[in-house]
Amino acid sequence: MGVISTDSPDSAAARTARPVMARVPLARTVVFGAVALLLFLLVVLPFGWVLNNSFHDDLTGAWTLGNYARIFQSAELLEPLFNSLLLAVATAVIAVGIGVPLAWLVSRTDLPFRRTIRVLTLTAFVTPSFIGATGWILLAAPNSGWLNALWRTLAGAEAGPLLNIYSMTGAIFICGIYTVPYSFTMVSSALDEMAVELEDAAATLGSGTLRTMLSITIPLVTPAVIASFILSFIQGLTLFGVPAFLLTPTGIPVVTTKLAEFYQLFPPEIYMAAAYCMPLLLVTAMLFWMRRRILGRKQFVTISGKSRAGRRIALGAARWPAFGAALLLPLVSVFLPYAALLLVSLTRAWGQGLSWENLSLHWYWWALFGNSETHTAIVNSLLFSTLAATLCVMLGTVVAYIVERRLVFGASLFGAVTTVPIIIPGIVMSVGFFAAYTRAPLNLYGTPLLLVAAFAATFLPIAYAHGGSILKGIGPELERAARSLGAGEGRTFLSITIPLMGGGLLSGWFLVFIPIIRELSVAVFLITPKTNVMTTLIYNAKDGGNYEAVCAMSVLLLLITLALVAAAGPLTRLTTVRRTSRATARKTAPAEGVLPT
Amino acid sequence: MMEFSRRRLLQTGGLVGTALVTGGLAGTAFSRIAAAADDPLYAAAKKEGALTLYWGSYEQQTMEAIRDAFKAKYPGIEVNLLRQASQTVYTRLRMELQSGVHECDSLGTTNMLHYTELKKIGALAPFEPVDGVHIPDAFRNLDPDKMYHVGAISLTSINYAPGKVPSPPASWQALLEDQWQGKITTGSPAFSGDVANWVVAIRRKYGDDFLRAFGKQKPKVGQSNVDTVTDILAGERVVGSGAPFSYTLTQKAAGNPIDVVAPSDDAILNLGVTGILAKAPHPNAARLFTNFLYSTEVSMILQKNYWPTLRKDVPWAEGRSLDQLKWYRNTGDDLGPEVAEGIAKWKELVR
Repeated sequence: MGVISTDSPDSAAARTARPVMARVPLARTVVFGAVALLLFLLVVLPFGWVLNNSFHDDLTGAWTLGNYARIFQSAELLEPLFNSLLLAVATAVIAVGIGVPLAWLVSRTDLPFRRTIRVLTLTAFVTPSFIGATGWILLAAPNSGWLNALWRTLAGAEAGPLLNIYSMTGAIFICGIYTVPYSFTMVSSALDEMAVELEDAAATLGSGTLRTMLSITIPLVTPAVIASFILSFIQGLTLFGVPAFLLTPTGIPVVTTKLAEFYQLFPPEIYMAAAYCMPLLLVTAMLFWMRRRILGRKQFVTISGKSRAGRRIALGAARWPAFGAALLLPLVSVFLPYAALLLVSLTRAWGQGLSWENLSLHWYWWALFGNSETHTAIVNSLLFSTLAATLCVMLGTVVAYIVERRLVFGASLFGAVTTVPIIIPGIVMSVGFFAAYTRAPLNLYGTPLLLVAAFAATFLPIAYAHGGSILKGIGPELERAARSLGAGEGRTFLSITIPLMGGGLLSGWFLVFIPIIRELSVAVFLITPKTNVMTTLIYNAKDGGNYEAVCAMSVLLLLITLALVAAAGPLTRLTTVRRTSRATARKTAPAEGVLPT
Repeated sequence: MMEFSRRRLLQTGGLVGTALVTGGLAGTAFSRIAAAADDPLYAAAKKEGALTLYWGSYEQQTMEAIRDAFKAKYPGIEVNLLRQASQTVYTRLRMELQSGVHECDSLGTTNMLHYTELKKIGALAPFEPVDGVHIPDAFRNLDPDKMYHVGAISLTSINYAPGKVPSPPASWQALLEDQWQGKITTGSPAFSGDVANWVVAIRRKYGDDFLRAFGKQKPKVGQSNVDTVTDILAGERVVGSGAPFSYTLTQKAAGNPIDVVAPSDDAILNLGVTGILAKAPHPNAARLFTNFLYSTEVSMILQKNYWPTLRKDVPWAEGRSLDQLKWYRNTGDDLGPEVAEGIAKWKELVR
C-alpha cells in the first residue's frame, strides 16, 4: 500500500495519456532478447560444448555413445553415482533440518543475539568446505584428532576413537553443516518478508507457538524450503574437497572424486568426464519435476500490500535454551574448526605443537607481504566476485520474474536453462567455458570477462532460485494495480516488485558473492597468471603441503569476506528502516481500501 | 670450428636466436659468458619482452623463487607464471592447442608422457641449452632430438615420526612387517603421479604380491603423497610410504618432527620434464629460461628448498647427492598402459 502511494496520481495519469502500446513491445522485445542472449552465452553455449564433448571419444575424437555405455556397464562407475546420491540426500536433509528451524528462530522470534547468529551462519558460509574439512581433520581424525585425544584422557588411553571423520558419516556431517547457510538464508529471507495475519489468526484460535510454526509459518515458506532442499542436494552432489579429503582414505568413491581421476589419467579423459555428469542432470531434473508436483497451484502469497513481519513471537522460558541450540551450528562449523585453523596458522611449524617459541605471525606476514601473487589475487577475487555476483543477481531475478509471472510463452524453459550450470561440477563446466570462448567469434581467452561470466553462470541458479522463492511470496495484485494505472512491465518490475523484494535481493547478492569468492574449480582452466584468484593460491599451498599457509590464507579470506558483510550491514539496516517507516506511515494513515484485500 | 662459430654468432647479433639452436651449441664456450648483458640470446629475449611459464614441477614457493631470480638476472622480461598441478597445466595446454591458442612458452610438468605426446604432434621446438652440460649424466639427453630436457628431479621414499619410531623401516620390504600394520600413510596412485610412479616401480621389483601384502597393512590412503607428511605431523600415522623426499626435508628444516629414509631397495626417482612450445610467442625468452634452469643460481635455489639440484657441481642440501643414494627410475616407451594397470591393481589389492 505504502509502496504504490509513492507514485503520484498525476504522473500515472500523464503516462496513460501517452501511447503506451506503441513503445512497450519494443522495450519488451529488447529486454527478453537481452535475457535470452545472456542465457545463451552464459549457459547454453558452454553447456552445449560439455554435451557435445560427452559424445566424443577421448582418444580418437570421433563421435560415440561409448562414454555413456561405459557408465552403465561398469560397476566401478555406477558405485560413485550411488554414493553421491546418498551423500546429496543426507546433506539436503541436514541442511533443511537445521537451516529451517534456525531461520525461524532468527527471523520470527525474540531469540537473543539474533544478529550474531545471522553473522555466524554467514561465517560458516564464507568457509570453503575443504577448509572446514581440514579443520575437522585436526579435530576428529581417529588417532590424532584433538577431540579424540580429549576423549581418551577422559575414557582412558585404551578407548577407541569417539569420532572418525574419515567416514561417510563424517563427510555427510561436514557437507551438511556447510550447506545449512543456503537453507538458512533462503528461508529466513522468505520469513523476513512474510505477513503475520495468518499466524495471528492461529494464535487467536489457541494454537501454541510450535504448532503455529509447524502448521502455518513453515508451510507458507514451502517454496523457499524446497528450493533450498534442491540447492543443498546439488551441493552434496557437486562438492569435491570434502569427499576428496574425507572419503578417499576410506575408499568410498563419489562422482566428483571419480571426475578428478578422469582428469588425472594420461591422456586425460575429459570427454568421458563430461558424459559422467549427465546422470546428475537427470536426477536433478527429477527433483525439479517433484517440486512442481508439490507446489502445484498452491498459493504462497504472503505479501500483498497488507501488514508485514515486524512482530516477533515470544519464546518465553525457551528463549535461552533456544539460543543454546542456535549456537550449535556456529560451534561446529565455525568456532571449533577455526580454532584449529587459527592455532595452526599461528605456529611456525605446526608439527612442533603449541609452545611460546613456536608462536608466530610469520605465515600472515608471508601471505600478505611475502608473496607477490597474493596482492593481485586478492584484488582479482574481490573484483571478479563483485561483478559476477551483481550480474548474477540481476539476471537471476529478471529470469525468476519472467518465470513466476509467466511473461512469455515458454517461460519455464528459461528457468530450466538457468538451473543447469550448478549441476555440472565446476571442473567440467570450466572445460565448456574454455571450449566456448577460446575461439572466434567470441575469443575471450585470458580476459577477466571470461572469469566473471563463468562465475556468474555457475551461481546463476542460486540467484534464480532465491529470486523465485521471494517472488512466490509477493502477490501479483500490487503489480496488477500498477499495470492498470498504465505502468509497463519494466516499470512495474522496477518500482513495485524490486522494492518489495528489498532486503531479499541483498541477501541474494551475498548468497552468490560468497560462493563465488571461494569457488575454485570452475576457474581452473580459465585463470591466467594475470587473472589469478585467491582460491587457486590457497589450493596451491594445500597442494604443496603448506598447511600453515593454507590456514593463514583461509583465515584472511574469512576476515576479508566478513569485513565486506559488515560493510554491507548499514545497507541492510537502511532497507529495514525504510520498511519500518512504511509500517509507521501505514499506522498513521490507514489504508483507504484502494486495493481489494 | 667452435671458436669460429662463436665469433660469428657474436658479430651477427640479430640472428643469434636461431643460430643458438642450429649451431648445435658451442658447448662449454658459451657457458662461461659471465655477464648476462653480453648474451645475444638475452638481447633477443628482451626484444620479446615477456615470457609465459606453465609449470607444475616444484611447489609455488620454489617456483616463485626461480622466477624472481630470472627476473633479477634478466631485467626487461616480464614473467607470467601459471603454477598449477602438472596434470591440470597439461590438460589446459592440450585444450589450448586444440583451440589454436598459443600462450605458453615453456612447459614444465612431472610426467614424461606429456612430452612424448606433444613431440608426436609436433608441438615442441628443439633447443639445446648450453648449460645443459652440467646436468647429471644420467639425465642428460633425455630426447635425442632435444625436444625436452630434465626440469626437476623428484624422489619418492619413506618418511616417519622420529619421536614415535625409534628404528624406521629401512626398505620398501620392511614396510610389510607386522609392526607397521595400521601405522602407514600413503597417497593414491589415482590422484598422485608420484605414487603412480611408485606403484609401477614396486610392481616391477616385487610384483603384485607386494601390493597384496601392502593392502593387508591397512594403510591410510590420502590423495597426494604430501598428505603423508600431514598425517605424520598430526600424529594420525607414524610412517609414510611413497613419500616426498624433498618436501619432507623442507618440513624437517622448518622444525617439524619428521625425517626421511632413503630405502635400501631404491628410492624411486621421477623426472620432471620441460620443453619449449613450437608456437611459443616468446621463443627466445623460453630458450633463455630453459638455459637458466641449469645455472648455478637455480641449483642454489633448489638446494635451499631441499630439492635435488640440476647441476653436478652443486650438492643438494645437507651435502647429499645423487651418488650417495640407491635409486631406481621407471624407463621404457610404454609407461602409459603400465601406469593404468598399476592403478587398477592398486584398487583391486590395496583397497
